[in-house]
Amino acid sequence: MPPVIEIRNLRKSFRGHLGIGSHLAVSDLSLSVEPGEIYGLLGPNGAGKTTTLKVLLGLVKPDAGSVALFGRPPRDVAARRRLGFLPENPYFYDYLTAVEFLDLYGRLHGLDAAERRRRIERAIERVGLKGREKTPLRKFSKGMVQRVGLAQAIQHDPELVILDEPMSGLDPVGRREVRDLILALKAQGKTIFFSSHILQDAEMVCDRVAILFKGKLRAVGRLDDLMSPDAKWVEVTVKGPVPSGVPGERRVNPDGSTLLVLAGFDALAPAVAAITAAGGTIAGVWPRRESLEDLFLREIGRAQVEERVS
Amino acid sequence: MSGTIRAGLLLAAAVLGAGVARARLVALEAPSAGPKDLLYLPNGKYLRAASLGQAPVAADLVYFWAIQYYSDYQRADRFRYIEHVFGSVIPELDPRFIDPYWLGALILTTEAADLEGGLRLLDLGAAKNPGEWVLPFLAGWECDHAKEYDRAAAYFDRAARIPGAPAALVRLVAGMRARGENLREAIAKWNEVLADPRGDDASHAIAERQVRTLTVRADLKDLEAAVVTFRELRGAPPRRLEELVHAGILSRLPLDPDGKPYRYDPATGAVTSDASRVLGS
Amino acid sequence: MRAMVAVALNTFREAIRDRVLYLILAVALLVVAGSRFVAMLTVGSEVKIVKDLGLAAVSIFGLLIAVFVGTALVSKEIERRTVYTLLAQPIARWQFVAGKYAGLFLVLAANVLVVGGSVLAAVALMGESPVALVPAVVLILVELAVVAAFAVLFSSFTNPILAAVGTVAVYVAGHLSWSFDLLRKRVTTGAARTLCDVLHAVLPNLDRLDVKADAVHGIAIPASTFAAAAAYGAFYALAVVVLACVVFERREFA
Repeated sequence: MPPVIEIRNLRKSFRGHLGIGSHLAVSDLSLSVEPGEIYGLLGPNGAGKTTTLKVLLGLVKPDAGSVALFGRPPRDVAARRRLGFLPENPYFYDYLTAVEFLDLYGRLHGLDAAERRRRIERAIERVGLKGREKTPLRKFSKGMVQRVGLAQAIQHDPELVILDEPMSGLDPVGRREVRDLILALKAQGKTIFFSSHILQDAEMVCDRVAILFKGKLRAVGRLDDLMSPDAKWVEVTVKGPVPSGVPGERRVNPDGSTLLVLAGFDALAPAVAAITAAGGTIAGVWPRRESLEDLFLREIGRAQVEERVS
Repeated sequence: MSGTIRAGLLLAAAVLGAGVARARLVALEAPSAGPKDLLYLPNGKYLRAASLGQAPVAADLVYFWAIQYYSDYQRADRFRYIEHVFGSVIPELDPRFIDPYWLGALILTTEAADLEGGLRLLDLGAAKNPGEWVLPFLAGWECDHAKEYDRAAAYFDRAARIPGAPAALVRLVAGMRARGENLREAIAKWNEVLADPRGDDASHAIAERQVRTLTVRADLKDLEAAVVTFRELRGAPPRRLEELVHAGILSRLPLDPDGKPYRYDPATGAVTSDASRVLGS
Repeated sequence: MRAMVAVALNTFREAIRDRVLYLILAVALLVVAGSRFVAMLTVGSEVKIVKDLGLAAVSIFGLLIAVFVGTALVSKEIERRTVYTLLAQPIARWQFVAGKYAGLFLVLAANVLVVGGSVLAAVALMGESPVALVPAVVLILVELAVVAAFAVLFSSFTNPILAAVGTVAVYVAGHLSWSFDLLRKRVTTGAARTLCDVLHAVLPNLDRLDVKADAVHGIAIPASTFAAAAAYGAFYALAVVVLACVVFERREFA
């Protein structure tokens, strides 16, 4: 099956204020999203994630490179029929009620009245807005706006769902609900492409990620491939003395205990023995694998070094 | 067919349709309908209110329109509303706008032979603009031409008293009446006014117009006199004006201020020119 | 096409939920009602005053709506970024603009219907047949359609304030097109003449759509003139809307 999204050598720069100078938002970006996967476009603010999404949706034109949605150009109306989109910090017509708003978008998708009614009801329930559908959007809180935005993105049962920072501004409960929704969509066989700078959430749901930094692609691939599955190191919290013979980094915690970082599981048993023999107490043992955040910071650090060198 | 081409075609079709419809509208318009008929030119006060604070611009627009309206020499009843337009509407909008007063007065005195109407306009203008010496001066001039010498003297006196008026000139002109009507001298005097760097635009415009009108008048007078002389000498009027030169009565044939030759009707002996019209052809 | 209709109906709904619209409508109706009393000041035909003020109300308040609602139509969406999700839907860009215009036209038509209808009623109540006014009212709507087209055009590439200034400028220039005609006749040669020719042809001759004076005096407007004027306005508005669609098609939403 052909990739749902295919981006090749994308380049986009924006002219500065009053035409002076230019800012290179994305350069030489290539990635592809396969059907049925959850793909995360990650990077710090200003990395070029939103620009990439805008090119994908035909809101801006690329300077160079090609972008294809279901094998068609982004402005193709037929391609847009199969996708749902939620922008960052969305704004909707605040003079409409939730139902009227969803009805309008349903109309744009060519759904007939009865079909619209059914789907709107389902979508409202799915995003947890039941009971508020007759309220004007003007009165919605930010979290509620986010929900109705999600409703609009999924109500027409699209094959591809594109989300720009879907978790931003939500409380932990909200973030959990969005994560669950994304996983449920994948279970229905949909493809999800979302951008985020919150890595913990991405780590929990993504199949593949692409890490962007200052417009350039720094790393791309399956999470498991990018990060080693084995425990990389073990963190041991020790109360009391840590004998000097024990190898590993030591950091002092605010409460006076010591955080001992061991290179691997093999080093754990002898370290525990040594510490207990010296009279210390083991308060906790944490086997740690490299997190997405670690990978991320590593890549960013490398990029910054490269920049300084060049 | 790409979207751009479709859009271009639709645009072209719409523009074409609009053009055709407009051409039809123009064709359906009454032939002599230039500016709209005077029926709907309201009182100056209402116009002032309607202009929403842009009265001077509105005055200009009405003036432009009026010039066009009165340029139509075929129009029946040309002189009916002149005092309304130049003496009421425009002054209500901009009483210090000098040009309309003397233009209106000129049309009335020169073309409609309505001295009183012309004087009314000039008096109104002078009343609203007491510092403008040209308006009473022109009034005096018109009275002088109509042989109302006492009134002329009174006007010239008024004009001379206004600060900034070239008093010497005014007195000279006033004294002219004693020497009889001498058009060529008058033209020379007006040329002096024209050349005077202290004069403002309005004075120069008036002087220019006077030079033009008087030159035509003087030329016509000379040509008609020459025709009469020719008739006395040869027993019959000349068939063409050139014969006056051949007969040695005139050294050369003058051209009107527009550079066109004067027209001559051998049947009546009358010499005319379009240039004698105040607003040109 | 369906998408365009959906946007049009939604635009209409947005307008009628805007309180400003009702304010304008209320003032217009007040003027029409008040004209009856103002008419008592005149000596002569009182009905003329009612007709004059009434038609002026339809025209001026319609103009206000066309300018203030029309110029915000597209630019507000861009400013508020509601346009992002909308354009991500299966809707072509031209359908968005055309839909906005159609919605605005519906609002203007409704306004002309209400205020114009009240004028006709007021005249009928004074014992005179208002039939002669109908062509003038229709042509007012046509004129508003042209102005609204410009409002949408300017709105598609600049902010509401500049769009409003531009639209009003076009309206004024359109009513002064007779002066360009005069200027053409005076300036006989050269680049200035060409400029006058171009301007006179390109600017909307809104004064040709103005038959109020004749209608008020009961002078019948010939069917051919009415048809040509209506066609001119309609084609002109269409051309400007197509232009707006083209401009919007090329826009980037950074």
